[in-house]
Amino acid sequence: MTKGSDVESRGFTIWFTGLPCSGKSSVSSLLYEQLRAQGLKVELLDGDVVRQNLTKGLGFSKEDRDENIRRIGFVCHLLSRNGAVAIAAAISPYREIREEVRGLIGRFVEIYAKCPLEICIQRDVKGMYKKALKGELSQFTGISDPYEEPLSPEVTIETDRETPEESAAKIIQRLEELGYLPPAHVPQQSYTPEEEAAIHDRLKQLGYL
Amino acid sequence: MSGKDPGELGIYGFRNRKDYSYDGMSIANSTAVKEDRVWDILSRAGKEVIVLAVPGTYPPTPVNGCMVGCFLTPSAQAPYTFPPALKPELESRFGPYLLDVEHFRSEEKGRILEQIYRMTEQHFAMADHLVTTRPWDFFMMVEMGTDRIHHAFWKFFDPTHRKYEKGNSFENAIRDYYRFVDQQIATLLTVLGDETVVLVVSDHGAKKMVGGICINEWLMQEGYLHLLKPVAGVTPISKAIIDWSKTLAWGEGGYYSRVFMNVRGREPQGVIPPGEYEAIRDQLKRELEAMLDERGQPLGTRAYKPQEIYRNVRGIPPDLVVLFGNLNWRSVGSLGLGTVHTFENDTGPDDANHSEHGILIMREPSNGGGRWLEGLHLLDMAPTILSRFDGLAIPADMQGKVIH
Repeated sequence: MTKGSDVESRGFTIWFTGLPCSGKSSVSSLLYEQLRAQGLKVELLDGDVVRQNLTKGLGFSKEDRDENIRRIGFVCHLLSRNGAVAIAAAISPYREIREEVRGLIGRFVEIYAKCPLEICIQRDVKGMYKKALKGELSQFTGISDPYEEPLSPEVTIETDRETPEESAAKIIQRLEELGYLPPAHVPQQSYTPEEEAAIHDRLKQLGYL
Repeated sequence: MSGKDPGELGIYGFRNRKDYSYDGMSIANSTAVKEDRVWDILSRAGKEVIVLAVPGTYPPTPVNGCMVGCFLTPSAQAPYTFPPALKPELESRFGPYLLDVEHFRSEEKGRILEQIYRMTEQHFAMADHLVTTRPWDFFMMVEMGTDRIHHAFWKFFDPTHRKYEKGNSFENAIRDYYRFVDQQIATLLTVLGDETVVLVVSDHGAKKMVGGICINEWLMQEGYLHLLKPVAGVTPISKAIIDWSKTLAWGEGGYYSRVFMNVRGREPQGVIPPGEYEAIRDQLKRELEAMLDERGQPLGTRAYKPQEIYRNVRGIPPDLVVLFGNLNWRSVGSLGLGTVHTFENDTGPDDANHSEHGILIMREPSNGGGRWLEGLHLLDMAPTILSRFDGLAIPADMQGKVIH
């Protein structure tokens, strides 16, 4: 195996999608920390942050939203193919563009942050729902703009019923099942009785016991 | 590599008590290590690491880089690499992983010597492959061959060893092997380049083994240990039928001994009243330290309470850690040798014991070198390594000092 292919085989993209205030940012930042703690190279592209730089100037029409997602997807693609784990956390309301990005990246894990609209409205972290409900925001997802649920996401986190820690654990477990991460921190069973006996014998012969 | 002592790690030997039962010992592998080691800290800081055959790394754990498990890997078939795909990569180039010397307790010295060379050669070839095919900020390997050759070949070169035979065919085995290891290191150094800080370190020294102290024979003789039935022939302590209702203490074999006491309310059939525990432990310590050699001279044994030598005492520590005769003698756990002092090991030939002073050689590009370093401790390694990475904080709870 060459250096290149070894590195390449490790990268992938974790793509969060969900309504505003559905918990994408809190779970994705927690996941980011946990994957970093495993020693992985991880980048987090948060929708709100990305709109300040990479996609600055884009609005909220369908065309602009798709362009926003396309650019985030392009960066995720570059990161993934270079061995990093890219985490994208943007509303990404349209199914078609999400599928386009999935096709581009390949190693792509879609996380649906599922949360009832009423709960998202209650959370209203930045007061945007309030504005939208008053009619002051014309293209606000969930109120005045559509959101298309994923049909078969790899993971659905239910942020109204799970703590961010539980949601992150659920994602990590799925990443292990899908082979993106090695199983757990260490294999659960360390030795079978036969292996333990063999090692015991070896240690005895070596004089350690 | 954690900057923590055995008490803080809660790991007191390769086999560690997992509960207070009489046979509840398990092999302490990487799953027993709950503290960060330098490669964990460096990985989190985004540094790339390569860890090869460092004891305590099976099962291998995820790192930012790769890890090849140590000699506690059960077999070459086991999943001994992180990432898993590294295993077939190594096997395709170097064949099955040579974990250790097989059938070590044997008089087939020619075979053992050949195995030690083959193992060392393979490990250095793997090292060369890993450092040249992967990016890395920190590389570490442990080669066990030097330890194995001391145990198997000491008597052939040391005229003061009681089994030394002048003119034997292995007289130069250790020296020649050291030269071979030096050459292997020299080759690796050319690959590492001049800008790399290099440390050559041993985690313990070695010395001639004078003999073995049968700790359980001694405990029986002194009235601390009682059997229900005499043993027939040499018998491991785990197979002896012990009268726990009268037994105060028993001991484990190894390069040093661990003595455990049978305390009421702690061990299943404990007899020492908790109120008398410290007094009996002090008495046992005094008597162990007063032990004589086979000619009636003081042996110079030291017995330590873990609480005296470790900063914290986690897990289930031994009640005493015993170094017999300044480590010139090993601890023999088996019963049935009929003597306290033995010159035949219960597990077959072994010529050397571990000693307290290892080596450290350090090369630093920014430093001319050529100086003696003194007052060093194994616990200095982790902080010293971390200190060479700019901007990396050394965890405050690490013991040891930065070597300059």
